[in-house]
Amino acid sequence: MDKVMSNKKIIALYVLPALLVIMAVVYIPIILTAYYGLNEWNGIGAMTFIGLDNYQALLTDGKFWDSAWHSLLLAVFSAASLIIYLAVAMVLASKIKGANLFRKIYLIPMLLSSVAIAQLWLRIYHPTNGIVNSFLESIGISNPPAWLAEPSLVLFALFIPILWQYAGFYILIYYAALKNIPASLVEAAKIDGATSMQIAFRIKLPLIMEVIKVTIVLAVVGSLKYFDLIFVMTDGGPNGSSEVMASYMYHTAFRAYDFGYGSAIGFFLLVICLIVTWVIRKLTASKETIQYS
Amino acid sequence: MFNKKWTVLLLTLCLALVAAGCGSNNSSTGDSGNGGSEGDKVTVNFMHLWPAGVSAGQNKIVNQIIEEYQKENPNVTIKQEVLDNEQYKNKLKVLSASNELPDVGVTWAAGFLKPYVEGNLFAPVDDLLEGQLNGKFVAGTTEAYAIDSKTYALPLEFNIAPVYYNKAIFEQLNLEVPQTYEEFKTIVKTLSDNGIAPIALGNKDRWTGSLWYMYLADRIGGQEALANAISGAGSFKDESLVKAAAEVQSLVDSNAFVKGFNGLSNEEAKSEFLNNKAAMYMMGTWELPNFTTNEEIPKEFRDSVGFFKFPTVEGGKGDINSWVGGPGVGLFIGENSKVKEESKKFVEYFVTKWGEQSVTGAGVIPATKVDTSTLELPQLYIDLFDEMNQASSITLFADVQMEANAAETHLNMIQALFGKAVTPEKFSEEHDAAITKGK
Amino acid sequence: MISGATGQLQEGRARSGNGAGRKLGYMLLYVVLIGVAVFQLFPLVWLLLFSLKNNQEVFDLPPLSLPMNPRWENYEKVWSAGNISVYFLNSVWITVAATALTVILGSLVTFAITRMKWKGSSFVLGLFMVAMMIPVHSTLIPLFSIFNKVGLTDHPISLILSYVAFNMPITIMILLGFYYTLPKEVEEAAVMDGCSVHRVFFRIVLPMTGSVLATTAIINMIYNWNEFIFVNTFISSDMFKTLTVGVQNFIGQYTTDWGAIGATLMISILPILLMFLFLSDRIVEGIAAGSVKG
Repeated sequence: MDKVMSNKKIIALYVLPALLVIMAVVYIPIILTAYYGLNEWNGIGAMTFIGLDNYQALLTDGKFWDSAWHSLLLAVFSAASLIIYLAVAMVLASKIKGANLFRKIYLIPMLLSSVAIAQLWLRIYHPTNGIVNSFLESIGISNPPAWLAEPSLVLFALFIPILWQYAGFYILIYYAALKNIPASLVEAAKIDGATSMQIAFRIKLPLIMEVIKVTIVLAVVGSLKYFDLIFVMTDGGPNGSSEVMASYMYHTAFRAYDFGYGSAIGFFLLVICLIVTWVIRKLTASKETIQYS
Repeated sequence: MFNKKWTVLLLTLCLALVAAGCGSNNSSTGDSGNGGSEGDKVTVNFMHLWPAGVSAGQNKIVNQIIEEYQKENPNVTIKQEVLDNEQYKNKLKVLSASNELPDVGVTWAAGFLKPYVEGNLFAPVDDLLEGQLNGKFVAGTTEAYAIDSKTYALPLEFNIAPVYYNKAIFEQLNLEVPQTYEEFKTIVKTLSDNGIAPIALGNKDRWTGSLWYMYLADRIGGQEALANAISGAGSFKDESLVKAAAEVQSLVDSNAFVKGFNGLSNEEAKSEFLNNKAAMYMMGTWELPNFTTNEEIPKEFRDSVGFFKFPTVEGGKGDINSWVGGPGVGLFIGENSKVKEESKKFVEYFVTKWGEQSVTGAGVIPATKVDTSTLELPQLYIDLFDEMNQASSITLFADVQMEANAAETHLNMIQALFGKAVTPEKFSEEHDAAITKGK
Repeated sequence: MISGATGQLQEGRARSGNGAGRKLGYMLLYVVLIGVAVFQLFPLVWLLLFSLKNNQEVFDLPPLSLPMNPRWENYEKVWSAGNISVYFLNSVWITVAATALTVILGSLVTFAITRMKWKGSSFVLGLFMVAMMIPVHSTLIPLFSIFNKVGLTDHPISLILSYVAFNMPITIMILLGFYYTLPKEVEEAAVMDGCSVHRVFFRIVLPMTGSVLATTAIINMIYNWNEFIFVNTFISSDMFKTLTVGVQNFIGQYTTDWGAIGATLMISILPILLMFLFLSDRIVEGIAAGSVKG
């Protein structure tokens, strides 16, 4: 068994194609990005090598740390909202009537492109005729806030569409994971007299633990480098109060033409992601992996 | 740098893999590049930002010009690539990093152009200016594209920014066009008291707010003060400029701008004006089609749009005929283009034809001189043409004047100033710091 | 966490003892489910209405109101804007090719990492995970220069390679969670019987992962279908551009035609919606097939 399953040629055959693509298309750019970060470069003329100056500047750049804080907040919220997604997926995967239809409907928003989602939520948040403020006014709240113009609110106002945008993605993954649990296991538990809550917490959850761990990493890393809706809806404003790391990187490199510094931000973002992922994996590490059996 | 051979090797491997994997209809492109040497056939790559869908007028003119040009020069093919504003700027940046700029493309003036010129990517066009195009441009427009006495692009547009106002709303409240800033403030108060948003401003885009600051700076401190501060010869801590910044905040305090302006895009703010919800709107003359010929907007509204010049401030040094504005986009020719001569010829032809057709065809005021007497134009155009002719000075948009880095600081500070997140003093300090750093 | 769980457990037990309460619970559940469903359908309805308005109506009317004269001509505009059929075909084949490649290559890697024994497997897994952590905009300039050096700019292969590479990590991650939990007994038995590794993978493991394959395929497809940054950066010829570029046709220098953008988005969502409905059923079928064997 071991001999067959450690055949080097086959391993190479299975792993190398994907690895080569990743190396060429992702790793070379990562290395180049790190290298650009060591230079002063506006992206056009010649580069001037300045060593670690950009990275050093980054450590004391208040704007960067503000943006990092915003990204981190988003990551925490995304990770927390996984609980809701998981609950929805559990309901959809259970044998209630119409689950199939509900599932399809629930996942539809994930098909929309960011352009559409951004436009939708801009209309929802519009300060005078948006849905939110029209509603608030109709229940007697006069002068509700302009959500996207208020530095203290804007970040949280943005979190809602972002979390909503990804709901479908995680529900889909959880759903597939739950559906993959052999029905026989659940049936056996039922015969033993377990309630549906017990089945959910004692059987289903442990069985999809690996999937949950993966989604935590995905949610956190995805949030740390998040860009799309923020870019369209507020462009990091007002006064940088919704700036996240990726948008700060973009503004520095593509607007302020400081590609050296922008690259340093991009590379630093990767380092932060690595650290956070490592921490998550340490926290969620378990000795045994549970299998269906 | 990393080893080039390795990259090639890796990518070839991947390529082989993909080809084997899907083996579908990837028709080989061959190299569609500029085979300048092969016979007389040349291809000129032209990148611009007027898609047919929304900039129908401009797009039609571009296509007509290209068609005519190709007819007159059968050996030349002009290959277009169209992108939207944001994507266009990104792509230009990516292309220039690999030294792969198109032969002809669209650029902005001054600060935008500078790094490209310093990186030797744009070709000087002084020979064109001394040739057929001599004397064809409105005075002061090509200078915005000049660095160290060489010009690097030919402007296509020329704009100034008046304050448009809704005559119907003004009439209803017995308001008159303000001559002084005091009167202007009274108007703001009256409108606000009557529940009408005085000014539509979409300051998410930031350059929109910059217009207001620039006018206040101009009217209070005179044209020189701001110009010197931007060039670094003076300072933003100049008393008049600090006062202008303070004045911006006092406008904000008096509810002069639409609710949530710092979170609204220019597009959203404009619609407040177009829907009769805000009474005034300061914007470049590129909006004129919306107030004159655009059939999508109700005629009733279009007929009720007027404009006024930013009023003078009592005790200020500014002149009422001094404007904020300047040339918009221009055409550059790639310094490393393999078909530079053909590209130059095309640009020369393009600029001339564009000048003849752009006002009537697209409502765009070109940077080349227009003989208004021969054209049938809506009154608003004629009035603004007159204003342009009488202008005592035209100050280029601050964010265009500044280099990218300083421009970003300026724009961010504008948003912070309007949002009252910085004091006028801090606002000035940050500007000075950014401009000194850029040197 | 644990005490909360047991609390709910008891509650669950208490409720199940009471028939009427249980019924009420179900009714409540359905009210919530239907409420959420309406909320989730709302964007699609909104988009349809949005696509029938002009700029004035888009900004002025409440989002869910029907415009006085539905502007079907927005759709006409989009269709007549030319090249849309070329974009459409490109979108389809590029999406399908990239998705298929990603899912297959990703499955092979995941199988090798979780099922086969070799030194460095966790290092390789790490390599794939790190690849997920870089912001797209950081890679644009270096990536363009690489493609440019090997002559792949303005060629669809540059897009397919980028899509495969950038979606590979997430695909592998999702697959990983599933592979870890798959029972090993079946394949062990198969290997004992003298099955080759290829056979184990293609005949036994791959069919068992049908549901997750459908899941990753859906996710890949949505990403590839909606992607536009790479298209704009790497492709310059119209003949290779994809549907997302259609939106750009209506973003002008100073104005944007929102109604037409809505129509473009509406047209471009239909194929992906159909694919989604189709694949979404495979998720359930996959398990059925798997459980028969299991």
